[in-house]
Amino acid sequence: MKNGLMLFLGLLAAMLIPWSAIVLGANHELGRQPAYYDDNDSQAYPLRPSGIAAEGEQVYRGLNCAACHTQQVRRDGYGSDVARGWGDRQSVARDYIFRANPELGALRIGPDLANLAGRKPTAPDIDDLYTLLYEGQGAMPPYRFLFQYRKIIGQRSDDALQLVGRYEPRPGYEVVPTRAAQRLAGYLLSLNSTYTYPEARAAAPAAGEGRK
Amino acid sequence: MTLASTPTAETPAAPAEVTVVETAGRVPLLLLAGSAIAWLLVSGILALASSIQLVHPDFLSGWSFLSYGRLTALAETAFIYGWVGNAGLTVALWMLGRLSGEPLRAPNWLLAGASFWNFSLLLALIGIAIGYGTAVPFFELPTVTIPILFLSYAAMAIPGVLAWVGRRRDLMFASQWYAVAALFLFPWILAVGYFMLDKIPVQGAVQAVVGGWYAQALWTVWMAPLALAGAYYVVPRVTGKLLPAYDSAVLGFWVLVVVGGFTGGRHLIGGPLPAWVASVAIVTTFLLLVHYVVVLLNLRVAWGGGGTALKFIGLGLFCYVLGGFADAVTSVRGVAVSTQFTFFDVAQTQLALYGGVTLMLLGALYFALARILGRPWCSAGLIRAHWALTVLGLAAVVICLAVAGLRQGADLNNAQVSFAAIADDTRPWLVGAVAGAAALLLGNILWALNLAGTAAAMVREELFAS
Repeated sequence: MKNGLMLFLGLLAAMLIPWSAIVLGANHELGRQPAYYDDNDSQAYPLRPSGIAAEGEQVYRGLNCAACHTQQVRRDGYGSDVARGWGDRQSVARDYIFRANPELGALRIGPDLANLAGRKPTAPDIDDLYTLLYEGQGAMPPYRFLFQYRKIIGQRSDDALQLVGRYEPRPGYEVVPTRAAQRLAGYLLSLNSTYTYPEARAAAPAAGEGRK
Repeated sequence: MTLASTPTAETPAAPAEVTVVETAGRVPLLLLAGSAIAWLLVSGILALASSIQLVHPDFLSGWSFLSYGRLTALAETAFIYGWVGNAGLTVALWMLGRLSGEPLRAPNWLLAGASFWNFSLLLALIGIAIGYGTAVPFFELPTVTIPILFLSYAAMAIPGVLAWVGRRRDLMFASQWYAVAALFLFPWILAVGYFMLDKIPVQGAVQAVVGGWYAQALWTVWMAPLALAGAYYVVPRVTGKLLPAYDSAVLGFWVLVVVGGFTGGRHLIGGPLPAWVASVAIVTTFLLLVHYVVVLLNLRVAWGGGGTALKFIGLGLFCYVLGGFADAVTSVRGVAVSTQFTFFDVAQTQLALYGGVTLMLLGALYFALARILGRPWCSAGLIRAHWALTVLGLAAVVICLAVAGLRQGADLNNAQVSFAAIADDTRPWLVGAVAGAAALLLGNILWALNLAGTAAAMVREELFAS
């Protein structure tokens, strides 16, 4: 190579081609997906997240929970995602349209959370989540800095954790979630992808069809 | 373009061929190299702490800024933008300067750029520690720091671009193509990440495509080219031979920069995006093997020669090529179902970033710093210890994480195995990875001591002389 200008222009072209094909291509195909209106339910899906869930998404992001948890269920037969009860169907792009920063994740040191609040037969409730976050479990570290250990003044708080055994606070003390913990729990409890969009049905010939 | 850079007889005992590039550009180049080593140590400490947390989740869990997610993000950011960025630019600018035959022009831009780059990186790490990171792999940088990083990178690139434009001969060598690609294209990648993920983010799942493209582009047109620029310059210098099959080097270069950008979607196999995103990535990951084969053919002479620089570059070359083939194999859907989302993926990243890029940069820096300081390294024993600890540590980290990943993958695919059982299954191997991370950190501390000793000897001599 002798010509510096050609190298420079070649580099720009080499960058432009894959970027337009992959990034702009995907954005063109999926960047403006609407919610899916279901006539039977008179309701559009996915539901818009509540205010606390949207705030909690930023807590999840700031703690980089995605270092250990994915939020994407793969189709039945590819991996054990469905068999583990993480969801009844594969995740599709429409699941994420109202997420400010979807956290698909790349590592599963812990379970997938895409459909945490819609798991069957039992989804965790807010007390389960608080206890898990406070105590940790197995490979999951405790997140005690999301809680406040304090002396009970007057009446015991309604939000206080029901801890038993090792982590039970001393008499006269209680453990209450901070605002960040409430937001995070609100977000986790909003993770529900039970509604099946046309494009998420497992029928083989129609896979990828059904976008409106 | 059949000529490799003109080989000169390499006298192993410096002060060999110290040129005006080294004497005139000493201060800014040493600022870059010193920052690189500092970040390497910082990221080593952070990576060691986070690997301990995988074995003992309670370790340091009481502090929010040291929780596992943030520690991994901190270690990765310090490594990529701190170590690879500073070290890669040291090598690239030094090499471009040498091939221009004149002192680096605009050295003050380099000084200012390097200061701002490292200062804003420090701000970025503080931001991640207090929860402003973005949680996108390789792009955890808090949004506010990106414009400063962008501008300071541009300032640092100016001397390199001037040296390239003012090169003595029209003919360009492979090392120059790679260095120029890294100088020009990094700001584009950073700008795409800034706008498409942070400022005016694309909708929902498309962000995963942008994130995948970003991480891959950072690898194929920034980190890998910086490392290859050093290797393509140093190997013919030290061996004194023309690179074999040098005619094909141009093919290897263009395949990397064109095809590499298509391969980002291979981490999205089975994900919520249309199948073409993953399929294109799988096909192009195999196509990219052309690049790895060409690099192997060109640089294989590094395995024949002695000397510290060639040892590091030779092992780096092996890891780099092995990493390329591992990427291809694990991008096949039938393999990915067992390796995706596991520590095997982490092992591959370590193999590429630590094995490939870092070892090649270390080799080039061993060669370059002896000339920039104008004297041989002060302790041969420390060099041997650094080499031994690096080989041991790297092998422990990559092999242990790979085995842990294979066990984890088999367990994950069996819905009957609980996460507690998976943790028990992988723990012994994760302990091995902790030992490897400790060995790598110790080796790098010894290297930093060696550099400090050599620099101190230089300063003493200069003071004595004046």
